[in-house]
Amino acid sequence: MPDLSRVMRERNIIFVTLALCLVFYLISPRFLSLDNMSAISRQIVPIGLIALGQFFVVVSGNIDLSMGMGSVLFAIVLGVFFGLTGGVALGIVAVIVCSLALGFFNGVLVAKLGLPAFIVTLSMLFSAQGLSGLIIPRGQQIFLMGDFFRFIGAETFLGLYWSFLFLLALFALAWVVYNHTSWGAAVIAVGNSEENARLAGVNVDRVKIGVFMVSGLCSGFAGIMLSSRMGFVQPGLDGNGLLLDGIAAIIIGGTLILGGRGTIGGAFWGLLFIGIINNALNLLNVEDVWHQVFKGAVILAALGANWLLWQSRQVEAH
Amino acid sequence: MTMSTAAAPARPRRAMDSLTQRYLVLVGLIVIASVGFGIANENFYSLANIGILLRSIAVLFLVSMGMTFIMLTGGIDLSVGSNVAFAGGVGVIALTATDSAALGFVAAILAGMAIGAINGVFIGRLRLSAFMVTLATFALARGLALVIYDADSINVSNAAFLWLGGQSWGSLPVVIPFVALVFVALSVLLYRAPFGRDVYAAGSNFNTAFVLGRMPQRTLVWVYVLSGALAGLSAIITVGRVSSGQPWTGLYLEFDAITAVILGGTSLFGGRGRLLGTILGVLLYGIIINGLVLTGTNPYLQSLIKGLILLGVVLLDTLVQRRKAQ
Repeated sequence: MPDLSRVMRERNIIFVTLALCLVFYLISPRFLSLDNMSAISRQIVPIGLIALGQFFVVVSGNIDLSMGMGSVLFAIVLGVFFGLTGGVALGIVAVIVCSLALGFFNGVLVAKLGLPAFIVTLSMLFSAQGLSGLIIPRGQQIFLMGDFFRFIGAETFLGLYWSFLFLLALFALAWVVYNHTSWGAAVIAVGNSEENARLAGVNVDRVKIGVFMVSGLCSGFAGIMLSSRMGFVQPGLDGNGLLLDGIAAIIIGGTLILGGRGTIGGAFWGLLFIGIINNALNLLNVEDVWHQVFKGAVILAALGANWLLWQSRQVEAH
Repeated sequence: MTMSTAAAPARPRRAMDSLTQRYLVLVGLIVIASVGFGIANENFYSLANIGILLRSIAVLFLVSMGMTFIMLTGGIDLSVGSNVAFAGGVGVIALTATDSAALGFVAAILAGMAIGAINGVFIGRLRLSAFMVTLATFALARGLALVIYDADSINVSNAAFLWLGGQSWGSLPVVIPFVALVFVALSVLLYRAPFGRDVYAAGSNFNTAFVLGRMPQRTLVWVYVLSGALAGLSAIITVGRVSSGQPWTGLYLEFDAITAVILGGTSLFGGRGRLLGTILGVLLYGIIINGLVLTGTNPYLQSLIKGLILLGVVLLDTLVQRRKAQ
């Protein structure tokens, strides 16, 4: 009964998220105000993009640690092109090309050479961090101004930020791709068992390269969204925090970290969960130093829950 | 050493030969790097400078030896750097509260072991992937360190607590013989004790080790606890070196350790590698990193170079192995 357990799993996280909202509302009524809700919807956009890209990578049984610093690098690429040309079109093309190239590179090293994904992407994390600081010297910033950044960062449609709508559209697209295309099925198959997938005629290497290109592109988008919201770019942006939040969102959303299982809906609720926690920590004036403790504890707790799921999977298999 | 390596399971003779070859290459590279930096900087060969160099990589030695045990079991520990900061914080707080250096030492090492135990239980008992679990503790331990220090550094003046990291006999820092001592102790543990064979067994083939009753789940827990204890020791040395505890200390230390261990020939997939290789790997990597710092290289260029070194070593290893397999 995989479908039933899937619904159950999503229902759990929905329940927890709504309960959390209630608790925070009772502590601070401002939490559920329309202003705050829309603030959350805007804050979660870059995290959501990271989570979405990471989702496919994790379901395929890999990990992409370069997504956070990657998006900082791509934000800087956008900023540099903006500084040079005064426009954004070229910058966006450059970001898309660079992010796909990074993903392709990661994917080839993992798929064709059989290197562990975490080592490849860990070295990319450092390379991206280094590159971003070499492009813009330390302590300097590039300010991003103009219609495009205002549109992405601050304009709303029917009360919803355009950036949030973009995220929703991508999630919808990802849902269709994941559930209703042969590629989505292939990603799941590779995550379950590469050997079986290969025997079933799946081009495993191509699927792996594909998921890393998706995660690369998502970090490119995240970079664009991040820089538009902030209005400036600099190499000191917290890429690792972004990465951790994105990973936390999908683990909380019930994505099996061993690969082969997970739902887009779960990932979305996990994202809301993380967004709400982040927002509440600020709203309730929790000191900054506690934020990381919460993040780590939440991921650990979610990993424990994930283990319970895995146990139930073992039982199902028997 | 030959006898014990013969006793270690699943290590074909050929693999040992290729490791020995690798150590010779590493020694050669260390000589070349020293000569290179010696030419670039005439102070490089002074005794004091060698002492400074060794002292600055003492922590990397300790952490990398712990990482070697972990990587021999096929795992990874991304949390050691954060753990060094956390354990240091606990140690410094215990020291200032009780004014007893001994209690400070014990507190730091126990704190490091606690984070290690969390890692070990999640990875060994629950069989969750090591990089995920240690990524969580990477955030958790750093967060706890920030909380303990309230995001600020704490000065330490207790001479006994600072002795290990700060004291020198002439131009020989106390910490160098200490690291050598730890190396000998860990070598005995890895090559002469049953635990060492369990480590190789868990990394060579977890399921086989399980079936043979070697209890690899338990071995895994203990290697992470060991790594945590070494992080605790490193924390004491770090505090001693700068006479203060700092919440951001050890940032990305795990990355340096992983690179040094891989450089030293330990396989990413577990079951193959030796502590001697790690020592050589740390020496080479330490000389390069120190050289970059001494020549005033842009920190961002340093991180790019570090990233490329790791990627380059892993790539080279894989390509060499592929050629051998053909």
